[in-house]
Amino acid sequence: MSFSFARALAVVWKDLLDLRKNKGMLYSMLALPAVIVVMPIGVVATYVARPDDPNLKLMAQYYDLTVNAENATRFLVEKVLNDWFVLYLVMPVFVPILISSHAVAGEKEKRTLEPLLASPITALELVVGKSLASLIPSVIICLIAFVALCIGVDVVAWPLTHSPVLPNTMWTFGVIVISPLFAFFGNGVAVLISARVGDSRQAQQFAGLFVLPLVGLAAGQFGGFLKAGLGYYGLIAGIVLALDVVILLAAQRLFDRERLMSRWG
Amino acid sequence: MSIVVEGLKKQFGARVAVEGLSFEVKPGEVFGLLGPNGAGKTTTVRMLTGLLVPSGGRAVVCGVELPSTDEGVALRKKVGLLTEQPGLYDRLTARENLRFFIRLHELDEPKAWALAQRYLARFGLSGREDEPVGGFSKGMRQKLAIVRALVHEPEVIFLDEPTSGLDPQSARTVRDAVAELSGEGRTLVLCSHNLAEVERLCTRVAVVKNRLRTVSTLADLRREGLSLEVTLESDATPYVAALSHLPFAPAVTTEGVKLRVNLTDPSHAPDVVAALVRAGARVHSVTRAVRPLEEAYLELVREEDDA
Repeated sequence: MSFSFARALAVVWKDLLDLRKNKGMLYSMLALPAVIVVMPIGVVATYVARPDDPNLKLMAQYYDLTVNAENATRFLVEKVLNDWFVLYLVMPVFVPILISSHAVAGEKEKRTLEPLLASPITALELVVGKSLASLIPSVIICLIAFVALCIGVDVVAWPLTHSPVLPNTMWTFGVIVISPLFAFFGNGVAVLISARVGDSRQAQQFAGLFVLPLVGLAAGQFGGFLKAGLGYYGLIAGIVLALDVVILLAAQRLFDRERLMSRWG
Repeated sequence: MSIVVEGLKKQFGARVAVEGLSFEVKPGEVFGLLGPNGAGKTTTVRMLTGLLVPSGGRAVVCGVELPSTDEGVALRKKVGLLTEQPGLYDRLTARENLRFFIRLHELDEPKAWALAQRYLARFGLSGREDEPVGGFSKGMRQKLAIVRALVHEPEVIFLDEPTSGLDPQSARTVRDAVAELSGEGRTLVLCSHNLAEVERLCTRVAVVKNRLRTVSTLADLRREGLSLEVTLESDATPYVAALSHLPFAPAVTTEGVKLRVNLTDPSHAPDVVAALVRAGARVHSVTRAVRPLEEAYLELVREEDDA
C-alpha cells in the first residue's frame, strides 16, 4: 500500500492551525515549560546570592563528603542543574501527551473522525500526521525552554562562575538526543491511548501516568540515592529508545481504522 | 451500474448488524436506504464507502471491488459521504475546513477551491468563507458538509441521515440542496428513516432492517399487497365483523361510510364485496387504494417482529 506524505502533511497543517487557534490549549502547553525554566533559575539565584551560607556546605556534604566550603556553592549549582534535567524531561513527555490526546480523542469528541476517515487517508498516514503535529511543537517548545534556561542560569550564576554553566555536554546531549526520544514516547503513548478511550481528558489522565517514573527518578536523585550524569542519562535514553521501538510496532498494529470507526465513528 | 451489492454482511463480534443485502444502483439514480434506527443503514453506508470491511458478500462501488486491498483508498477517492453530524472543525474557517479536505484528496488547490466556491455560492454560503464554522447555524454547517463531500467531484454521494436533528427550516434547506444535486443527474444514496424526505427525493428504495426487506420503486412499494376502498350507503362499522373471518383480509379499518380493506392477494377483491353483500351492506363503489408509503414501510419493518 502506498504512503502519501502529502496527506500526512495535510493532517499536520490542520492540527497545527487548530492548535494555534486554541488559546486555552496553548496556555496549558506553555505553563509547564515556564515552571521548568523558572524554578532552577530561582534555585541557582538563591545559592549565588548567599555563597557563604554555612548551610550550603552542609547540603553539599550530604551529597558528597569531599566538598569543602569554598566550592560548595559551585557544587550545588552543578548538582541542581544535573538533577533538574530529569524534570526537564517531563516536558517532552507531557507536552506531546497534551497535544496528541486532544488531537486524536478530540476528533472523536467533535464527531470529525468519520468525515476524516471517509477521506482517502490511511491509518498509517493519520498516525504519522497526528504524531508530527504533536512532535514538532513539542520539540520546538523544549528547545526554546532550553535556550531560556541557559540564558537565565548563566545570567544569575555569572557572579559566582564568571563563565557559562549551561549548555554543558550532558544537557546538550540530553536536549538534542534524549528529549526527542521522550517526546516520541509521550506522543506514542498518547496516540495509542487516545485511539482506545472516549475523550481527550481520559486520554490525558491515562497517558499522564507515564510521567510518574520520571518523578520517581527525580525523587531518587534529590534524595541522593541516584547520581545523575552523562552515563546515567545515556542509560535512560537507551531504555526509552527501546520503548519507542515497542510503541512504534504497537501503533502499527493497534491503530485500527475499523475499530476506530465502529466504536467512535 | 454505479453500485452492485450481493449478499453483503457485517458482523461485530457475535452481533450481526446487517446481512443478506443485495441491490443495484444505476448511474444518476437517487436511491433510498430506508429503515428504522439500528437497522444497519449507517453500517451499510460505511461498508460501501470503504470505512468498514464487510464480513461477507461482495459489492462493487464505482468499479471498485469490496472488500478492497488498499484500505479503501481508491474507493474513497470516488465517493463522497455526508455524515449525520457535519463533523466540521469549529475553530477553523469554512475555507480552512474545505482546504483540509482538498489536501487530503490531493487535488489541484486553485481548481478545487474554485469548484468549492461555486458550491458555496449555490448553497448561500458565499461571503462566509473566512468565518469560523463554530458560529454557523446547524443548516449552514450541514450545507458546508455537503460542499466538503462534493469538493473532489465524487461519482456517488452517500447521504447518511442528512437532516437528522435539524430544525424544520434547516432540514428544508438541506433537502433543497440535495434535490438540486439530484437535479444535476448525480448518483445519490440517501440513508434515512424520514419517509417524507425519501418520498420527495428518491426514485427507488431498499427497505432494510438488519436484512433486506425489499427493493422497489416507491410506486410499487405502495401497491405491494392491495388495499380496497369500499364506499357503503350507510355507516361501515357494523360490517367489519362480516370481513373478520376472511383469511386474505388481515386488516380492515372504517371511516364513516368507507371501509378500507388490506388484501394479501388482489384476486380476492370480489370475495370481499360478496361477503359485504351477504351481510346486507349496500355497496356504492369499490376502488383500489394506493397505500400511503408509511403504511407499506411499517408493514415491511414489522414483519419480522410479528414472526
